[in-house]
Amino acid sequence: MGGYGDVQCIDENGIRLDGRTVGEIRPISIEVGVVPVADGSARMRWGLNDVIAAVYGPMEAHPRKIQRQDRAVLDVRYNMAPFSTTDRIRPGFNRRSREISKVTAEALESVVLTELYPRSKIRVEIEIICAEAGTRCAGITAASVALAHAGIPMSDMVVSVASGKVHDIVVCDLNKEEDNYGEADLPMGILPNSGELVFLQMDGDLSPEQFQEAWDYNMGAVSVIHEHMVAALKGGEA
Amino acid sequence: MKGRQVARPDNMSGDNTAGGPRDSQQAPLLVAPGEDLGDSGEYSAGHGVVAMNGRLRAVKQGRKNTQDGTVSVEPRRTAYVPRPSDLVIGYIEGCTSNIWFIDIGAPFNAILPMSLGPSKAEFGGIRKVLDIGDAILCRVQEVEENHSSVVTMKGMGLRAIRSGTVEEIDPHLLGRLIGRGGNNLRQLKEETECRLIAGDNGRVWIDGEVTGMVEARAKLNDLLMEAKVAEYGGVA
Amino acid sequence: MGIPLVPKLLRAHLAELAENDSRHDGRGRFEGRDLELEIDCLERAEGSARVRMGDTIVYAGVKFQIMTPYPDRPNEGGLMCSAEVRPVAGRGWEPGPPSPESIELGRVVDRGIRESGCINVEELCLIPGEKAWQVILDLFAISDDGNLFDAFALAGIAALKSAVLPAERYEIGEDRPLGVAKTPVMCSYHKVGGRFVYDADKREELGGDERIHITLGDDDHVHSLQKGLKGIFTAAEFDEIMVEARSKCAELRSLLDQKLAGE
Repeated sequence: MGGYGDVQCIDENGIRLDGRTVGEIRPISIEVGVVPVADGSARMRWGLNDVIAAVYGPMEAHPRKIQRQDRAVLDVRYNMAPFSTTDRIRPGFNRRSREISKVTAEALESVVLTELYPRSKIRVEIEIICAEAGTRCAGITAASVALAHAGIPMSDMVVSVASGKVHDIVVCDLNKEEDNYGEADLPMGILPNSGELVFLQMDGDLSPEQFQEAWDYNMGAVSVIHEHMVAALKGGEA
Repeated sequence: MKGRQVARPDNMSGDNTAGGPRDSQQAPLLVAPGEDLGDSGEYSAGHGVVAMNGRLRAVKQGRKNTQDGTVSVEPRRTAYVPRPSDLVIGYIEGCTSNIWFIDIGAPFNAILPMSLGPSKAEFGGIRKVLDIGDAILCRVQEVEENHSSVVTMKGMGLRAIRSGTVEEIDPHLLGRLIGRGGNNLRQLKEETECRLIAGDNGRVWIDGEVTGMVEARAKLNDLLMEAKVAEYGGVA
Repeated sequence: MGIPLVPKLLRAHLAELAENDSRHDGRGRFEGRDLELEIDCLERAEGSARVRMGDTIVYAGVKFQIMTPYPDRPNEGGLMCSAEVRPVAGRGWEPGPPSPESIELGRVVDRGIRESGCINVEELCLIPGEKAWQVILDLFAISDDGNLFDAFALAGIAALKSAVLPAERYEIGEDRPLGVAKTPVMCSYHKVGGRFVYDADKREELGGDERIHITLGDDDHVHSLQKGLKGIFTAAEFDEIMVEARSKCAELRSLLDQKLAGE
C-alpha cells in the first residue's frame, strides 16, 4: 500500500473516482462456456477486470509423486496475461502468481469433494486478461463458477471480494486507484450458503473498528455476487 | 450471514438474470452447487446431492429431480467413472509383454491382461494382436478401490474396431441418444444406414458409408445441442 | 500427458473422408470455420484484437516500451512478437517454459509481420542512438481447437493496426496511431488424409501430417513460409494451395479493413 496523498480517491460527498458510493461494488457480469475445448469455463468481468477460468479433469495425476492416494489434487494456476496491465508483464515465473495460485487452490480444495476422485488431478487455469485491482478475488470467483460448470462436485461455491481503506475511509470493492493509493486491503473468500470463510488475506493498516467495517462490507457483498454466479450457471451458454 | 448493506451498480438491479433464479416458470428445476434442497428427513440424497447437518445440499450444477423419495441432480457434465460390466470403447495407449494399457476416457487408465485379450500372443508379439493406437470394444471386468480398472475382451461381440469412426459425448447424455427402449438409436441407424454402438463411457462407434457417417455425426451434434438447450429449460 | 495418442482409426477415417472429398465436419476442402474478429477489446492494451475460428479463440495485445536502439541500428525502434499458449487453451498444453510449438508459432507470425515492412521502424526512433519505441505484440491463446497460426496472425495484425502510441503517458508528445502501412495475412494448409485442407481443426491436426503456412502481403507478395511437422509434399501440391492462399488472404484482408473502418 502506497499512501501517496496526491490522488484524491473520494470527494467531499463520498463519491469515488469511478462514481460509486463507498459501499457500492463495481458492475459484474459472468458467462459460462467461454473456453469451448475445456470441461468447464467461466468469464467474469468485474469493473475493468476481465478474467477467464477453465477447468480440465478429473484426469490422471502426473507426475506420480503429486498423486494423493485418498483424494484428487487441485492444480491451480493464476496468471496475468502480458497485456493485462499498464506496464507489460514479462511471461514466466513470478512469485506473486505462485502465491496467489497456492492460496486459491487451498480455498477451492475446501469446497471441492476431492475424496471422490482419489489419485487424480483437476486442473484449474485462471487467466487475467485485463486487470483492475481485485484480480485474485475475481479469479477465485470465476474458478468456482468454472468448476461448477465442469460438473465437479462441490459443497458450495466460493465468493471472493475485497474491501479496504482509502484516505482513512473504509470502502467496499477497491478499484485500481484505491488499491494503489489506499492504506489497506482485505480480500476474503466466503461460502455464500453458510457464511464460512475459506480464504483470507490482508495488508495495510486498519483500526479494530475499520477492520470490522471492511469485514462487514465483504459479507454484505456476497449475496450480490453469488446471484450473478448462480444466474450465469442457470442461464446456460450463450 | 450478517453484513453491511452493499449497494448494487445500476446494471445489476436484478432484471438481467436471464431465466435465472427469480423466474418461477422453469427455475425450480435448476440448481447450483451449495443450494439447499430441503430437510434430509423427508428425502434421501441421490446423485449430486449430499446430506449435511440434517439438510440436503446440491453438490453439482444441473437439474433437480425428485423421484421415489430421493432427490438427485442430473448434472450438466459428468466425467466417466467406470463400473463393472460397463461396455466401453478404449484406445491402446501402451503395452508390456503381457499387458495392454487402455485409455477408456476415465480419470484412470485401465489394463487389459493378455489372458483377457482377444487371442494369445507369442512372446514379443503382443503388438501384432493389438497395437498402440488401436481402438477396442471391451467390458469393464473390475474396478479397484483406488479407481484403476481391468477390462476384458472375452465376451459376445467384444473385439478390435478396425473401421468407421469413434465420436465422444458426455456419458450422462447416453440416455438421450439411445431413447426410450432404444428408439432414438434405432431410428438413427435406419436413417443413416450405419452401425452404431454406444459405449457407457460416452464413446460412440459409427461405421458405414462415408456419407452415412458424416450424417450420423451431424445428427449426434444436433442431439447434443438439443440436450444443452433442454437442460436449461429452453433458455440457452 | 505429453504427446497425444493418435488413434489409427482416426487416420483411416480421415483418409476415407478425403477419398470422398469430404471433411469430418462437413466443410469443403478450402472452407474455413465461422470467423469472428473483434478489435480494441482489451482495456489495458494499446492495441488489441480477439479472433474466433470455430472453437479456437485467441487474443492479441500490443504494448509499448522505451528502449535504447541497438548500436548497429541507432535510428530504429524495435518490434517484438511473442506467442504464449498456456495450459488454459487445452488439455495438451502444459505449464512451464515456452514449448517449441509455441515458440514456432510466435516466430512464424513475427516473420510475416516484420518482413512485410508494414511497420516503419525508423519512425519509432525518438532520439537516435538513445531512445526509441519498442512495439511488443503478445499473442495469447484461450482455446485451441486447431489452426492457432492463422488465428494468431490475424489477431496480431489487427491489434497492430488498432494500436496507439501512448506518448502522453511517457510525456513525449501527443498520442498517435502506430502507422501500419501494409496488411500481411497468413493462410495455413494442413495435409489431412493425403491432401491439403484449409483451416484444420484439432482433430484434423491430430490425425494429419505436415502443415504449410503462407503469409502474403498486399499485391500478393510472399513474406513468410513455413513447413511444419513430418511429411513430404510435391511442387504441384504447393502450387495448388498457393493459388488458394491468394484468394483467401485477399478475403481476410478485406474483412480486416472493413472491421477497422468500423464496418
